[in-house]
Amino acid sequence: MEFEIESPKNITELCKTIKSYRSKSFRFGAGYTDLLMELKKHTPRNLTVINLAQLKDVSFSSIRSTTKNIQIGAMITASKLVTDTRIEQLFPVLQQAAHNLASTQIRQVATLGGNMCTASPSGDLICAAMALQASCEIMNDDKKIHNLSIQDFFIGVRKTALKKNEFLFAINIPRNKKRTATLHSGFIKIGTRKSMECSVVSLAFHLQIDKTGKIIDAGIAIGASAPTVKFAQSACQFLIGKKINSFSEKEKEEFANKVLSYASPISDIRATAWYRKEVLFNISKGVLE
Amino acid sequence: MEITFTLNGKKTICHIKVSTTLLELLRETLNLTGTKPGCHEGECGACTVLINGKSVNSCLYLALNTNGKEITTIEGLTKPNGGLDEVQESMIKNGAVQCGFCTSGMVLNIKALQLETMQNKKVPGSGIKNSPNRNEIKKWLEGNLCRCTGYVKIIDAAEEVFNKGK
Repeated sequence: MEFEIESPKNITELCKTIKSYRSKSFRFGAGYTDLLMELKKHTPRNLTVINLAQLKDVSFSSIRSTTKNIQIGAMITASKLVTDTRIEQLFPVLQQAAHNLASTQIRQVATLGGNMCTASPSGDLICAAMALQASCEIMNDDKKIHNLSIQDFFIGVRKTALKKNEFLFAINIPRNKKRTATLHSGFIKIGTRKSMECSVVSLAFHLQIDKTGKIIDAGIAIGASAPTVKFAQSACQFLIGKKINSFSEKEKEEFANKVLSYASPISDIRATAWYRKEVLFNISKGVLE
Repeated sequence: MEITFTLNGKKTICHIKVSTTLLELLRETLNLTGTKPGCHEGECGACTVLINGKSVNSCLYLALNTNGKEITTIEGLTKPNGGLDEVQESMIKNGAVQCGFCTSGMVLNIKALQLETMQNKKVPGSGIKNSPNRNEIKKWLEGNLCRCTGYVKIIDAAEEVFNKGK
């Protein structure tokens, strides 16, 4: 494992560094839990790692509340997501996804930005953030920020819409519609063992329910079922306006089939495509039970 | 490049290659071989050390990112008078050590849970609590593999550490 390193101390330095590497090969390093494993297997020649771990900018590594959003800096670690009380109260799905990611030791260093930009089809934090209908705040090397919906951020297996001179700065999660809304929010991860597992399939759900039991907003996302994590739009639409406790067996199946219509899984070392679909159908139904 | 950090309470300055992992630095340059190399990919937890009191896999941590931080390895866990830490005492008392390869990582990760619950009165993911229950201990130790004991005695040892204060 041989590479060069640049450790910018703030965003201005980071932008400068990115500019100077425009025509050279570089990778970003944040928590390093994926990157070092990859580089241990194979390090391309003349690689430079732009080390984000020493950035001092608070905005990059904090959780901030605004009137409309909760903004989470890209350098927030999974363990921070587990222990933050706002995340726990407002977005249980994200807390659960973070708590079920890899192991304690990995969660201490693995970052939200790393999970997002690795863009694995089974990325746990991606799946939760997508169910929460987050948007991505992207900065370029001129410090210009633009927003992209999380669904447009992922364009293929391990591919994001980020250009070479851009990096993920933060994600914005819209606040729940009503303060008084009850949440039915969680992350279901199916694997062949409980710990340290990459999912066979995963499902993130975040339903907001008013006092009368009516679903006022719904977010459903599925992982390890397609080249990217998918937002199950029609399944969400199906739920909105209905009462959470009134679903018939037929409706539950209709909902599960809608979720399933977003899945195009492959057979691989972890499971067959058939098994993934069966499991996905059943856990989708389970959300309404 | 040069890095400065606190290692087991002592200020330490090292010259390293930028791609050196913390595990390599500890074992090969500083001769602290209590930190064990297992899978080298963050799966087994044998190389666990504490960085600013948090447990981290040293095989997946760049040594240069320890600059300015506090590292505790198993060699630094003993009390100033040379006595063992209470986690180590409990491991011995409960017969939780067989081949010993996972032990330093286990001890340090149990220590990290103790520090976490003492400081924040919280068990991560389980809300406000002064001490974790058996399931929460298991969850916390999911990144530490042991191929000898079947975990029962290790978890017994950890449980005893947390029940002591009650």
